[in-house]
Parts: sequence; structure tokens; C-alpha cells
Amino acid sequence: MNTLTDTLTVTFKLNSKPVALAVPPLTTLRSALREHLHLHATKAGCGQGGCGSCTVLVNGEPTLSCLLPVALVEGQEVTTLEGISSYGSLHPLQEAFYEHFAAQCGYCTSGMILTAKALLERNPHPSREEIAEALSGNMCRCTGYLPIVEAIEDAARKMEEGQ
Amino acid sequence: MTTTDFFIPCSVNEAVDLLSEHGEELVVMGGGTIMMYLVNEGRLFPRKVMSLRRSGMDEVRAVDGHVEIGAGVTIARIAQLDALSILAQAARILGGPAVRNMATIGGNLFAHAPYGDLGVPLLALDARIELRSKRGQRTIPLEQFFAGHPGGEYLAAELVTALHVPLPQGHGVYLKLGRRHANTPSVVAVAAQITLDDNNVCRAARIALGAASPRPMRAVRAEAALVGERLDDASITAAAEAAMSESDPATDALASAWYRRRMAGLYVRKALEQVAHARSGAQ
Repeated sequence: MNTLTDTLTVTFKLNSKPVALAVPPLTTLRSALREHLHLHATKAGCGQGGCGSCTVLVNGEPTLSCLLPVALVEGQEVTTLEGISSYGSLHPLQEAFYEHFAAQCGYCTSGMILTAKALLERNPHPSREEIAEALSGNMCRCTGYLPIVEAIEDAARKMEEGQ
Repeated sequence: MTTTDFFIPCSVNEAVDLLSEHGEELVVMGGGTIMMYLVNEGRLFPRKVMSLRRSGMDEVRAVDGHVEIGAGVTIARIAQLDALSILAQAARILGGPAVRNMATIGGNLFAHAPYGDLGVPLLALDARIELRSKRGQRTIPLEQFFAGHPGGEYLAAELVTALHVPLPQGHGVYLKLGRRHANTPSVVAVAAQITLDDNNVCRAARIALGAASPRPMRAVRAEAALVGERLDDASITAAAEAAMSESDPATDALASAWYRRRMAGLYVRKALEQVAHARSGAQ
């Protein structure tokens, strides 16, 4: 068993690279990313699990980083928006969001893209309904969702062509 | 006050030992979607916390006539349990996908209205809850657990370890009214598990309501209005009216008590009409 007192040390894989940090107990993954590691793509939204803007992938699954103490990702694999482009080029989802004007204020975008990435890995050809269902925990107050759904459809097509 | 101790036990026994050692001072989290929300809001400042994420309790097993579900099974996995249809339906529309990946069935039983949807189908399915302490293990009807919480003496020293759910008989319906189509707490939720005989007479009825009282509740008067009666418009109306009168909902940002009470009646009616419809379709 682990008992973590006052300051805990946690090591995990962040965007394929090992990280170690010392933080107070109950520090959330969101705070660890934004305040300790200075990675700000993951957004701080409602803090209640309602908006999805803090979504990251833990072992590939969409997870709310504001509700997850970082101590619990010990030994796990965490992916943030900073980790999905390769060799300096944008991920097809990022390109599609740009082309379809699927980001306005941008606050939901990081969570949207990571949720969409997990969806496309599980289901490379989602229907519109399946996309809407996958995004049902991610709130956007700017776009009306349509450009986001279209961007994900477009990215799905391009990712398949690229293979 | 800040958190000084964060325990992550690797087995149920360790978790039970910690609970017994630290008592009510120890705040227990399953998936964390309730507790961390309260911490983020500044409404809870726990000094000692225990996460059950690595303590096992994540198995689903079919055991003669019922399904045993570990308290740590996530809502996302509950959504796949087709044998327990109304429970799976409730899980599929609880929160958003990321919440379902984190939240657990055990933790959901500690959520207060308008959250805690899983207790509703579990009551309709006549589930029992398994509790473990240093003194041993026991199972009690889920209804009794809800009646005793908060303040039930067993809670301070006992850990919720599993749910035992009998395989359902008859027709099951789960309906939830929210303010959005998805990712919404309940204005009201209704679960019904109804057994009809060949003459369309109701032999057994279990009806449960969510967000109609502080904790998920059985609508016992609505059930009584059905048992022994033919399932028809008259008995459905009587059951819906009984459900309305026995609801004791709260007013909050989602809905008023007045509205919730009426919706409890309306959704019991809708649920029973679906049972009647499924029945006539099957004949």
C-alpha cells in the first residue's frame, strides 16, 4: 500500500516521456499539468465534471483531469493536447479543427480533440450520432457544435486516407 | 486545513483496516467524481483521504440467479451489462463518457439527488448491498442502506464492497428526464420492473424514483396500486397518482419540487404504458 503524506512524489508517462514531480496530496492532474508542469493546453473549467474542458487521456481513455488526484496516475500513461502532434506537424484532428473553424474561444478545443482522438481510435468511422454521443461530456458555448462534428468527420476521412 | 494523508490501498482488506483505524475522519473516494468536485468547490477539506481505485473490487460475476458487481466497477462497464437491462440503460446516460470512465457503481450510491441515478434501477431490481468491516461481511437490502444514510451506524466502519443484483423477471423500463438530452442530472428518473401473468394481471411490481426525494426511493404505494390488478389505464393512473403523492422532491437549479412531483407521476405513467405496450406487442 502507498501512504502519501504532506508531499507526494509521483512518476508517470506524460506524452510518451517519463515525468516525476513532488506535489501536495490531492493535487489534481489538472493542477499538476498547468501549475507544476506549465502545460496549459488542458483547460480549467467547471471543476465539477460537467464541462469536459480539462479532458486528457489516461491510458487512452478520456478522463477528467480536474477530478483525478495526480497520485492516481502513478505508472500510467497520460496524453494531453501537447502530445498529439508528431515531428512538429499538427495531428489531423488539429488540422481539421483549424480548417472547419471548429475552435472559436478555444476553451473546449483541447478536450474536444482528445475526446475525438479516443473515439477515432476505437471507431475509425463514427456516424454523426456516435460523434455527438462521444462529445456529450464536452461543452462548447461558441460553435453550436456543427463545425466540431464536421471537423471530426473530415479528420476521420483524412486519417483513413493517410494510412 | 489541508490534506495530510492520502491512502491508496491495494486490497479490500487494507481498505477495511484503514477505515477501522481512522473512522469517520477518513474520506473515501471511489472514482472521485463526487469527492473531488466538493474539494474543488471548497466545500470539503478532508484531512485524510482513501482512494479505492487500486483496491480491486472491480469484478462482475454471474452467480446462480444473480450478478455480483464489485463496488469499484466503473459506470462505463455497467453500461455493458445487458443482462441487467434497466441498470445498463441508466449507466449509458449517466454524465458524460469521461465521468462514466471514472465514476464507480459503489460511489454512485453515495451521491445525493439530483445525482446518483444507479440507485434507482438497483432498487427496482431488488439489489442487495455487500458491506465489509473488521467484524465481517454482511449484505442488506439496498433500500435499507438508503434509509440508514446518512447517520447509519454501519457506515462509519463498513466499506461498500459489492452489489448483488438478482437477474430480472418480467418487463423492465428505465426513464430519465433531464434538462438536456445528455450529460444531465435528473429532473426525475423512474425505474420499473413488472411481472404480469397470462391474464395481464400484475404479479409483482417494483417501482423506484430518482430525484423525487433526497435518496433514491421505492414508490411502494404505486407498486401496491398495481399488484393484483390488471395493467390497464385505471391501474396505471392509480399508480401514477400514488407515485406523485409519495414523492418528496427538492427544488433546485434544475427544477422545482412542484414540477418534479408532477413529472414523477407522468414518468411512472410513461414507464407503465411502455410495459403495457411491450406486453401487447409480445402477444
